[in-house]
Amino acid sequence: MEYFSALVITGIAVGALYGLLAMGFAMIYKVSKVVNFAQGEVMMLIAYIAYTVATETGGSAFAVVAAVIVSAIIIGYLLERLVIRPMLGQPVFSIVMLTIALAVLIRAVVGIGWGVDPHRFPVDLDSGGLQILGVRLVASQVLLLGVYASMCIAVWSFLRFSVIGIAMRATAADSTTAMMMGISPSQIYRLAWIMSALMAGTAGVLLAMINNIGIEMSDIGIRSFPAAVMGGLDSVIGAGFAGILIGVIENLAGGYIGSGYKEIAGFAVLLVVLMLRPYGLFGEKDIERV
Amino acid sequence: MRTATYQESYIQLTQLLPFRDGWVWYGLLMAALFTLPLVLPTYIATYATLVFIAAVGAIGLNLVTGTTGLISLGHAGFLAIGAYTTAILTSKYNVELLTCLIASGLMAAVLSALVGVPSLRLKGLYLAVTTLAFSIIVTNIILQAEGLTGGSGGISVKRTSILGIPVDTPAAVYYLCLGTLVLTTLGALNLQRSRVGRAWSSIRDYDIAAILMGINLMYYKLLAFAVSAFLTGVAGGLLAIHVRYLNVDAFGVLTSVEALAMIIVGGLASVRGAILGALLITVLPDLSRLVFSFAGGALADLSAAHAQELRAIIYALLIMGFLRFEPEGLAAQWSRTKRYWSEWPLTKRSS
Repeated sequence: MEYFSALVITGIAVGALYGLLAMGFAMIYKVSKVVNFAQGEVMMLIAYIAYTVATETGGSAFAVVAAVIVSAIIIGYLLERLVIRPMLGQPVFSIVMLTIALAVLIRAVVGIGWGVDPHRFPVDLDSGGLQILGVRLVASQVLLLGVYASMCIAVWSFLRFSVIGIAMRATAADSTTAMMMGISPSQIYRLAWIMSALMAGTAGVLLAMINNIGIEMSDIGIRSFPAAVMGGLDSVIGAGFAGILIGVIENLAGGYIGSGYKEIAGFAVLLVVLMLRPYGLFGEKDIERV
Repeated sequence: MRTATYQESYIQLTQLLPFRDGWVWYGLLMAALFTLPLVLPTYIATYATLVFIAAVGAIGLNLVTGTTGLISLGHAGFLAIGAYTTAILTSKYNVELLTCLIASGLMAAVLSALVGVPSLRLKGLYLAVTTLAFSIIVTNIILQAEGLTGGSGGISVKRTSILGIPVDTPAAVYYLCLGTLVLTTLGALNLQRSRVGRAWSSIRDYDIAAILMGINLMYYKLLAFAVSAFLTGVAGGLLAIHVRYLNVDAFGVLTSVEALAMIIVGGLASVRGAILGALLITVLPDLSRLVFSFAGGALADLSAAHAQELRAIIYALLIMGFLRFEPEGLAAQWSRTKRYWSEWPLTKRSS
């Protein structure tokens, strides 16, 4: 039983990371029907920028937060403006391939710019962490859970109550009608990309603090894919929740079946879920008009 | 007076090479390819072998992604299945190569049902993710099943014989791959021009309309995946024979992306495009390295230290550039050039 609860709690800590990334996927997909396969790479790029800022400033936490916010805004804006906007209206296949190419490009650029060896992230949290049900979590994991929970609440209330959030949902439902109501879809798309980069960047820095920072961290982007799809690509909160689910399932599979199966457990579950519910657990069923 | 070329019967419409010139030129091409390993140094033949293998795989992927319109990010998985089938059969059971290649293809075709069945209900992005999941699961299982596949240590391939002829020199492997490519090309062309190919294109263009026209969606989607996986599996088997030592790292997501790059650059749903794309994508990284090393200075240092990254950047920029500026690919460029010269002094600029 203790083993089980240990697996579940560490699984939740990993799942929070998947959840943050999956929410970023869902955010972009919801408003513009584009899946950003480069989400993991965006996360890595922002984490590396934060890493450079942290080493330059001697590990100041304030500087790292500022770096994440500023670089996420710039990167989100540039990606939307330069890469995605010219391709809007093209078939799904072209845009998917474009974001995959983007992922390959960012990964290679980071490899040339920062090298491929992992580094230790130079920000330390002094406090000693937390004990839950006999399982120790380090301070950065506790911080991750806190950030995840507050991000979920913030995104939910943003989409539910704020004027911009409602405009976002309106664009997602019907962009032409939204445009007639005075909403600018291109501004909404830009905002979605920036918010998604922000979530990815936050996840990236937290991941770098828990593990080290290295080029492999972008694999988390692909690993969090099952979460986004399982939650239903157009349900932001559903994706966040499915992240936790995937994290726990992966950990249980790793603990009880064998450590090698940890990496594929999420994908296996995804295959089963999609066969039963092709639009994910919380996604809206697509009704096609002929 | 005849003002243009008219096709007056069904037979004429479906002819592969309607003019005598075509026969002459393709005959010359075949003769050139046949004498290539006899006159040119071995490393060029080895390189050409790699292009042939890539072309077989790209034609396979093009049938499912280009012709039928089902996005597959998982063809590295089929390639791995084919390669490991051949490797295991030759090294453990000493099986003759023709049997191995067919077994590789069949193995991949059977396992393709795992993504083919979900594809009946999934569309677009969800399907892309499912195929991606499939290839990741395949490579992980290969890594886990150490007793059979050698796990992370890799597995070596034995070059046995084919129809009694020993395959022991690079030239023999070259002819084997060339022969497979010719058969694949003819097979794919015939499939595309037949009832099956027309059903596939109609599914790509509008699946609901295809159902209303009486096309059995389940049968044709599964068939597209099976045929495509078969060809990719055969390409995997050839790859195993060519490289003689397999490691699971060679079948990552980047390999699937590379294959997609080939068909995008070449032109979707075109066999000629798949071959041209395979040629360009296989040759370009090394060509660019050559150019960089001639350029000297900082560029040469960069290309020496970061060969892998530069390769990736070239793929990425090629895919982005073609998607943005020439979505029809090299195949469209080819027919435009051909039309320009066939109507030469009277060519209209607009078309």
